Amino acid sequence: MIEVINAFNCLPLAELEVGKHFYWQVGNLNIHGQVVLTSWFVIALLVVASIVATRNIQKVPSGMQNFMEYALEFIRDLAKGQIGEKEYRPWVPFVGTLFLFIFVCNWSGALVPWKLIKIPGGELAAPTSDINTTVALALLTSLAYFYAGLSKRGLGYFSKYIQPTPILLPINILEDFTKPLSLSFRLFGNILADELVVGVFVLLVPLFIPLPVMILGLFTSAIQALIFATLAAVYIGEAIEGHGEEHHD
Amino acid sequence: MTHWTILLAAAEAAEAKGGLFDFDATLPIMALQFLILAVVLNALFYKPLGKAIDERDNYIRTTEKEARERLAKAETLAKQYEQELAQSRKQAQAVIAGAQAEGQKMASQQIAAAMQEAQAQREQAQKELDQQKQEVFRSLEQQVDTLSRQILQKLLGAELVS
Repeated sequence: MIEVINAFNCLPLAELEVGKHFYWQVGNLNIHGQVVLTSWFVIALLVVASIVATRNIQKVPSGMQNFMEYALEFIRDLAKGQIGEKEYRPWVPFVGTLFLFIFVCNWSGALVPWKLIKIPGGELAAPTSDINTTVALALLTSLAYFYAGLSKRGLGYFSKYIQPTPILLPINILEDFTKPLSLSFRLFGNILADELVVGVFVLLVPLFIPLPVMILGLFTSAIQALIFATLAAVYIGEAIEGHGEEHHD
Repeated sequence: MTHWTILLAAAEAAEAKGGLFDFDATLPIMALQFLILAVVLNALFYKPLGKAIDERDNYIRTTEKEARERLAKAETLAKQYEQELAQSRKQAQAVIAGAQAEGQKMASQQIAAAMQEAQAQREQAQKELDQQKQEVFRSLEQQVDTLSRQILQKLLGAELVS
């Protein structure tokens, strides 16, 4: 085992710069500058795409409007399928933004050659490969489903903790912690692992060999965005409907 | 898996500040950015495009309904016209049959009248013929009388005869 580690240390693997950050100092707060920068890029991309799509709305859509309508219908179907026909509409912006933001983040990490832009300390990568981003999104999802349940069913929402039997109370409470934990770590781990694998392959064999892994990375990235959005919708739907405690992932 | 542990170890060894699980102010900033993005996209993207999609759905639904209603109306109209057509065709046939019957009747009447007339004329001619025959007979008888008288006179002499 130690020999393997030594062998890896001989290779220029350390240049992957895992866990190094480009720190911005605001007061006595630290901010990961590279994450914020790329997230600004992603946000700008989404906003520009939305503006282009809705600049001249026509009855027969074409071009960008058609594409964005396709995306919107996809998101609506997703939300409708998990939350239900009656309640899904107010949650479309949240679930849809989750999907779009994560999807564009992931694909920007895979498609945009961020590494060519040199910044002092760390390197630009997908914002979702930083644990702060994924935990932020997961915590927002938790807040969202608490809000959904409380606003829909009032304090009766808490009756779900003793729903099948009061014996399951600790497990039900634990679930509220495992949900954001699993959400954030799933996304973070997948995206970071994908970037690391691609990075290692590029270091070892710079040409052609990493391509299948990159394509696989694109696939995983899309799937992870879909999974995050779907699970968020499932949690919200569960909190609203209150009797669906059976289908967890 | 080994890669993972190695990388983790390397990362943790690399720097005291930093690392993979380095939570700091990035987290609330990303959350805030995400919420702002959701609000902005709601105003820029979900609402207008959702409205466009719903409006299109409505438009298609109403137009389809209208078209279906129109089709039903056209079908009932066509049926009605067909019925009317059949009725008028029946009527026409009745009229034709009536006219034919009338014509037949008139023709037979005229034929009968003509035959009657012919009969009458023939009878009259016959009658005239008979009359003339009788007259002829009568004049013939007279002539026979005078002739026989003359014969008698010639044979017996004038004085004996009268």
